[in-house]
Amino acid sequence: MKGTILPEKMIICPEDLILVTGAAGFIGSKLVEILLERGFRNLRCFARPSSNSAKLKSIVQRCGGAARVEIITGNLLSREDCIAAAKDVTLVYHLAAGRGQKMYADAYMNSVVTTRNLIEGCLHHHSLRRFVSISSFSVYSNTGKPGGRLLDESCPVEQHPELRGDAYAFAKVKQDELVAHYRKKFGVPAVIVRPGYVYGPGNEGITGRVGIGTFGIFLHLGGSNRIPLTFVDNCAEAIVLAGLKQGVDGEIFNVVDDDLPSSREFLRLYKRHVRRFPSVYLPHMLSYLLCYLWEKYSQWSEGQLPPVYSRKEWHTAWKPTRYTNEKLKSLLGWMPRVSSREGLCRFFESCKQKGRHA
Amino acid sequence: MLKVAIVGCGKIADSHAAQINRIQGVELVGVCDREELMAKQLHDRFSVKGYFSDLTELIHEAHPDVVHITTPPQSHFEIAKQCLLQGCHVYVEKPFTLDAIEAEKLIQLAEQKALKITVGHDDQFRHAARRMRSLVAGGYLGGSPLHMESYYGYEFGELGYASGLLRDEQHWVRRLPGKLLHNVISHGIARIAEFFTTATPLVISHGFVSPLLRRMGERQLVDEVRVIVSEEERVTAYFTFSSQMRPALHQFRVYGPKNGLVLDQDNETLIKLRGGRYPSYMEQFVPPLNFARQYAGNFLENLRLFLACDFHPKAGMKFLIESFYQSIVKSGPVPIPYREILLTSRIMDTIFEQIDRRALDGSEELDSMPSFTKSPH
Repeated sequence: MKGTILPEKMIICPEDLILVTGAAGFIGSKLVEILLERGFRNLRCFARPSSNSAKLKSIVQRCGGAARVEIITGNLLSREDCIAAAKDVTLVYHLAAGRGQKMYADAYMNSVVTTRNLIEGCLHHHSLRRFVSISSFSVYSNTGKPGGRLLDESCPVEQHPELRGDAYAFAKVKQDELVAHYRKKFGVPAVIVRPGYVYGPGNEGITGRVGIGTFGIFLHLGGSNRIPLTFVDNCAEAIVLAGLKQGVDGEIFNVVDDDLPSSREFLRLYKRHVRRFPSVYLPHMLSYLLCYLWEKYSQWSEGQLPPVYSRKEWHTAWKPTRYTNEKLKSLLGWMPRVSSREGLCRFFESCKQKGRHA
Repeated sequence: MLKVAIVGCGKIADSHAAQINRIQGVELVGVCDREELMAKQLHDRFSVKGYFSDLTELIHEAHPDVVHITTPPQSHFEIAKQCLLQGCHVYVEKPFTLDAIEAEKLIQLAEQKALKITVGHDDQFRHAARRMRSLVAGGYLGGSPLHMESYYGYEFGELGYASGLLRDEQHWVRRLPGKLLHNVISHGIARIAEFFTTATPLVISHGFVSPLLRRMGERQLVDEVRVIVSEEERVTAYFTFSSQMRPALHQFRVYGPKNGLVLDQDNETLIKLRGGRYPSYMEQFVPPLNFARQYAGNFLENLRLFLACDFHPKAGMKFLIESFYQSIVKSGPVPIPYREILLTSRIMDTIFEQIDRRALDGSEELDSMPSFTKSPH
């Protein structure tokens, strides 16, 4: 199933030029596929020189038809590259980010500096109608409220991300602040999309919200928590709609699928369908205590252990929380393309295949 | 209170800021990066007074006594020169400069201005390395070192970095005179340079692109190097740099006329090699027990340091920075002698020159197996 928007409710026509950064990535390549499926015929796909664009090229070949799809390589840290990429562009899907980077400087540079350059590149040309910036659930603080509460777009964002010990979260909080600044000061028509954990073939890891592998034992930390998963097709669909729909400038959208599995269910299914491994469940009280002790030791020892576990991190990743996609459905008309059941089946199959070839 | 500033706010700057903040009597007065956002993020995360995007402004407004330069190596010389001319002591991240000529000019300038300068060879100041230095100075080797072996392994690690470097023709590492080697090998070379006394040892180097990189289409990025360094046929050293060898060693072996020492940086161990032999079968029974005892001792020492909160991943950097500051405050000797900095630069220059010459000659491609080329200087 896919969300529909009547053409008169869209901010652009199929001929208008759309720029997709991070187009060769996990979500980016699926987003390009959906845009082509929806009949958009003028795409500019921006990828790093180091990206492997084979998958993107095959999608373009398969779905491109008569569409003009330009694949360009460049560096978003270069203002010149950004100005060139933004020429005549009406809609930007900015997916490129410092994903998976553990160093603050790298994560920040590849999320915040690149976003600034790209927005300024767009402002240079005056043709922009929408800038869709991809953020993350990790920006929410989720502290100060009882467990089990609903996390939605109105929840507070981390005020001191530098204390979280998570470079990616820090960079994403700062990226969101930057986008808000440009929206307020220069009237950039921006929309922020915050996906939960995006899974699917191509991203075969187990999210840390379920647990962490250490010294040969998997510590299961999620327990009965719902895991805020979104299958890559569903996430890409939500991002596409956030760029097209009229009247949502300035909005923020969280992206999670329906019928989310609990951490325990996810782990059980993973073991059944992919591979078996030993795991130990740590109750929430115990994981909180361990995070607290780690945080205090890290502070006391001046960083002899890096501050990667802390109470803030526990609140974000392991506190029992409920999630909603109501805003996504009501304002954008989003419906998941793939059910959670089907998504998990595809994901486990992909993990199994990858394991065989590893 | 010693006032310190950092120029260049990339990832290594985090380590500098963290270690500087752990030192008593020091204040981080400013951070500077041409990209103001990068300077601001470092400022926001550490206890820093101000942030700047212009070096002159940093020096004139923050008035640092010491400037740490953590920019890409291509800019080290100009920034260090400007800092020295403005009266600041300078700590330069490795590699010190692009070549030995720049290194000599900086050191001369520092001496003219009665200022101090050092290079970030912090691995040499980790706990086990310091224990090794003490033993050598105390005569454990039974005289001056006769032979050394320095292994410096490299893992491309995250696929992202490797593919970034391999697919991006404009990557800044490729623009260094020694490319990948330039950015990595100075730690391993400096260990050898520490124990040489001559300014111009004989250097014989052999470098090539590993079969793995060749299969990925790489023809220029040398990632396997073997070097012989010899001082007047008296002291010799082997240097091995490898991206393919496993384990990726970071090891230094030094042998004297009586005994030897093995420093393993990864395991943070120092093992004594006894020169004498035991009679008969004792040679097969006593040394293994002796090694077991030494490894247990290293384990206990590492544990003691950990429990004493002195076993940080960047403990060597803190010690080097602290020693450098002490040399400034107390007008004492710098922790790394200038002779050693210059010799490291000269050996690296010669290695790059020999590898480049083969490439320029065109007679031998870098991915073939050339014969050794000798360069006396």
